[in-house]
Parts: sequence; structure tokens; C-alpha cells
Amino acid sequence: MSQPAPFFKTLLARPEAVLLFVLVAELVFFSAVGRNFNTADNFANIVRHSAEIGLLALVMMPIILTGGIDLSVGSLLGLCAVLFGVFTHEWHIATPLAAALTLVVGAAAGGLNGGLITGLRLPPLIVTLGTFSLFRGLAEAITKGTMTYKDFSPAFLALGHERALGLPYQGWLFIAIAVAISVLVHRTTFGRSFQAIGFSPEGARYAGLPVQRRIATTYVLAGFVAALAALVFTARLRQARADAGSGYELQAITAVVLGGTSIFGGVGTVGGTVLGVACVAVLTTGLKLIPAIALQGIGSELGSLLTGALLIFALAGGVLAKSLAARRARRQSLAKPQPQPIT
Amino acid sequence: MKRHSLIALLLALSAFALLGGCKDAPSGGSNNSAGGKKMTIALLPKSKGNQYFATVEKGARAAATELGADLLYDGPTNTDPAKQNEIVEGWVNYGVTVIAAACENKEGISAALKAAQDKGIKVVTYDSDTTTDARSFFVNQATAEGIGNTLMDEAARLTGEEGDFAIITATLTASNMNEWRKHIEARLKEKYPKMKLVDTKPCDDQKDKAQQEATNLLSAYPNLKCLMAICSPAVPGAAEAVKQAGKAGAVKVLGLGLPSENKAYVKDGVTQSVILWKVEDLGYLTIKAAAAVAAGSLKAGAAEFDAGKIGKMEIQGDNVLLGKPFIFNKENIDGFDF
Repeated sequence: MSQPAPFFKTLLARPEAVLLFVLVAELVFFSAVGRNFNTADNFANIVRHSAEIGLLALVMMPIILTGGIDLSVGSLLGLCAVLFGVFTHEWHIATPLAAALTLVVGAAAGGLNGGLITGLRLPPLIVTLGTFSLFRGLAEAITKGTMTYKDFSPAFLALGHERALGLPYQGWLFIAIAVAISVLVHRTTFGRSFQAIGFSPEGARYAGLPVQRRIATTYVLAGFVAALAALVFTARLRQARADAGSGYELQAITAVVLGGTSIFGGVGTVGGTVLGVACVAVLTTGLKLIPAIALQGIGSELGSLLTGALLIFALAGGVLAKSLAARRARRQSLAKPQPQPIT
Repeated sequence: MKRHSLIALLLALSAFALLGGCKDAPSGGSNNSAGGKKMTIALLPKSKGNQYFATVEKGARAAATELGADLLYDGPTNTDPAKQNEIVEGWVNYGVTVIAAACENKEGISAALKAAQDKGIKVVTYDSDTTTDARSFFVNQATAEGIGNTLMDEAARLTGEEGDFAIITATLTASNMNEWRKHIEARLKEKYPKMKLVDTKPCDDQKDKAQQEATNLLSAYPNLKCLMAICSPAVPGAAEAVKQAGKAGAVKVLGLGLPSENKAYVKDGVTQSVILWKVEDLGYLTIKAAAAVAAGSLKAGAAEFDAGKIGKMEIQGDNVLLGKPFIFNKENIDGFDF
């Protein structure tokens, strides 16, 4: 903090700074024109309605950071929700044990993705496209497409509905996972290898990193947290159905990419992903609270539209900023002949 | 690098905290109290992409304009109970006066609707009900008795109250259809002694299977006068079978379904009557009833409800009845697009 000028300069060059600006602008704008936007209830709604996608985004981030992708997390959420229903309602397992079992199954399903990708060297896009259908298909087969599990224990349902210190339980869960992933990715040698792998898999291998094992870990982690998201989703809706989490994988990827993580890997921060989740969540909820938009019944559609626009704007802005920086660097390189690392 | 990302994370989390910090502004209640202010009615369809609900919306808009109320119409693009809950929770926070919901999942949405009631928002349901403790009235588009009687009366009218007929249903266990069949058979026994129900076949809610079953029925019962299809895919299925057997007009076809799905067969004279309710009127009645509940003029125990231009509607228990089903035929089917 002793030299504020260079600190802010570097901060402003980061995509996170742009997103933070967007988020603050959203908050100011919706507070001014939205109806009951600035209320504890609305805050709770925003957190509750985006917690599952947020959790998926948090674990999608390390995968994308290694240059991979996981299209199966939404389907896995559905499968885990249904399995949790089977464990509690058909096998009559006590809720805590059933939840633990669900998390194990989620991690194992993630292990299947990771195993196929690293063991058989198949492209992540293809493998997870396969498990995207496989997991959803299994969930539908188990419930025959129609069955719904309901009547879960009140203590479990609290996870989806109660608050502590004004923040819904799933909000605390999101913060805990966000901090954990952030520490893993940015503060441990283990996690920092994700970035190295995404930046250059060959280079990482020559540097002696167990590349395949590290990559597999990110998918196991994604499976585990997808199962956690399934529990949150089930508690929030008080029911488990095979269609739970449909389309969530794309919304999670959107939040990650919006948060400044390069889809090619090697670049990105967990903080950016959190901001990406927050920007989309506030935007989609806020729009529905503007009376003129609500009366037209186009809140949801406008939400998707503006999220898409924001994503393209953020990506295009990033590319523009980079080329400007490169031009400036070229000019400066006459004085200091040090090539800038691409960030 | 790591320092910056940690700072970014902290900033992100504090942004969340900021959002939570400015809470407890005067909450919803102030601008939705019934007195004086413009009423805001929220209408939830099962899915926005469905022509049926687009027609409901049309009727609802007409009623809202008449009442001078604001109408919020929002729903999932496809049937999605999670999205329905989120929309209802958003409306509670928005501070609507009354919510009218068509429920994709009875139990799934009832807690969200109850939470709305706890905040002083009135709730009615239409088309598909929720649990009875989560709403004050259900606007019922058709009772089992109304559907059964109308189907039987129309079959009798088409055949001159004489001859053999057969029923095609979805499954032999579907509870709503068994209820209709019970009323069809009771009506038959009571009023049409010269008619005979020769067979009832299930089609698993599939058009192809319905066509197959109808073809089998036509050859098994050469004296068959009429095919009655009581699940919607079976109506065009039965019509196709009759058409291919070259018996159009000789064997009458009627059933419960959407006019749009049957328009071609009705115009060709293969299908005589399609039975459903007037969907636009359902939207109109729902909004009228929702507004009356919110204003306190429609209370539990009422026996009748005056729905303005569509007339007085009977109330059975906590069901507001839309009245007799409507019969779509060659003369009027062009006027409907759902």
C-alpha cells in the first residue's frame, strides 16, 4: 500500500477490475430503478438462486485453467440429486450418511471423466459430452423420467432456506468453497501447477510435473462439488428430479470465462470467477425487479441477452486492452528490452 | 500474481457483503397493501413457450385491462419446476398483490406459494392445482363430471343416440381418465339405452399406438359407429386410422384435445368434434378471481362468482368452475389457434 499508483495501475489492467466496475454499476443502477432491490430478502434470493451455478463455476475454473472443460457437471448434479433421493427414500439411509454417499458418488463420477481424459488421452470436450448424456440418462432411467423424490427431513431442507447472519446457508458454503479453491489454485504448489499445465502442457511435463494426475484431480473435484450443489439444489426445491441442473454447465462456463479465465487455459483467477458469478446473478435478478421490464414479461429473456452481450463485451475488451498494452510495450521495449509475459 | 488474485477475491466477496449490507430498506409491504394503490397481479404459466398458455395470457390481459391492474406474466421457457419457484420468490420480493399459478409440480411449488402467503400475498391456482393449503381458490377449467357428460352427450348426438362405440384412453390406470370414464359410463347408463360401449383400449399416450388400436377396433367391430379418444394424442391417432380405413364420416371421431392438433382432420370431415374448454376464458376468469380474492370480495364459502363478460361461475368448495367444456367443430375451429 506504500506505492498506490503502480498498484492501481496493474489492478485496472486486469479483467477483474472491469468486472468489479460492472458489478458496482449494476448494484447502483438496480438500487435506483429496481423495486425492492436493496432488501435483505432480495439479497437472499440472489444468493439462493445462483449458489448451485456458482459452486459449479468455482470447480469449472481449475478445469478450464488446465485447458480442459467439463460439460457433464449439470447432468451430474441431476444424477446426484436423484441418487440422494434413492439413498434416503428407497434404501432408507439416514440423511447425513446419504449426503456423504452422494458426495462420494459425485467424486467417483468426476473420477470417471478424469480417468477417461488422462488415461485414454481423449479430448475433455468429447469425454464430458459423453458423460453429459450418460449421467442425465442414468438419472432419467432411475426415475423413469417421471418420479420425484420429496419429503426430505426439515433439518436437511434448512440448507436451502435458512440464513445465518443474514446470509443463506448456501452462501456460506459458496464462500467456504471459494476460499478453499482460491487457496488451492493460487497459494499451493499443487494448485499452481494447473496454470502451468494450461499455459504449456509440454513445458509442465518437462518441468517434471505429473500432468495427467493433476488434470484428473480437477475433474474429481468438479464431481465432488457437483454432488454438493445437488444437495443444495434438492434442499432449495424440496424435491429431487432427473431434470435438476439442466443447462447449468453452460451457465457455469459463462461465469468462469466472464471472470477472465482464458478458455484455452493458463490464465485466470478464482476471484474473477466469483465476480463473474456475481455479475450474472445480480443482472438476471435485478432486471426482473424493474417494473417496466417485469410488466413486459421479458425479464428472463433480457437477462440471457445481456449476459451474452456482457460476455462478448468482456472478451472483446480484453483482447483490445491486450493489443493496446502490446503496442505500448513495443514502444517501451526500446528503453527496456524485456518482453512482457502474456497475461 | 497471487497477491492480486487474492485481492480480487477479497474485493469480490466484499461486493457481496456490500449487497447484503444495505438491507432492510422498507420491505415489500408498503407498496402492495390493498388500499388505493394499483393492484399487481402475477400470472405463472407452466411454460411460456406453449400456445395453450399464450392463449391463457390473452384472456388474462383482457381481464387486467378491464380491472385497471398491472399484470406480470412470466414462466419457464420449458416446463421447469425450479424456474417456477425462482419466479414466485422473485415476485414475493417485488411485492405483487396476488399470484395466480399453474403448477408444474404440486408439492414442489407449494412451499414457495405458502411463503408468499406469509408475506400477505394472496394466491390462487388455475389449470393445475397445488396443495390446498397453499392457495385460497383453484380456478378449475373442467370437472371430471363435466368432461365425462360432454363427451358422452356429444357422442350420442353424432350417432343419433344409437349403436356401438369404443373408447381409446392413455392407460387403464391413469386416475383422471378413469374418473372421466366413470362419468361417461354413468351418463350412458342413465340417458342412452340404445348405445353400447363395446371396448376400451389404452394407447400409452402415443399417437402411433392410438392409430394401431383404432385400426384393430375398426376391424374387430364392423358395426362401430363412433370412436371416442379421451387423451389428446389419441384424437389425431384415431382420426388417421378412420381415414386410412376409408370410413371417414361413417365412423364418427370425437375426443378431448387441442383444436390446433386436430384442425386438419376436422376440416376433412374425419373428426367431428374436439372437446376442450375455452382457454382464453380460463385466463380471463383466473385474473378476475385473483383480483376479487385480493380485494376481499371473493371469500371462502361463496357459492357463485360474477366474472363479468363471461357470466356467473359456479363455485364448488374452493374450486371456481369455468363451466361446461366447449365443443370445437368444422364451423368454429378456425377461430382458435391453441
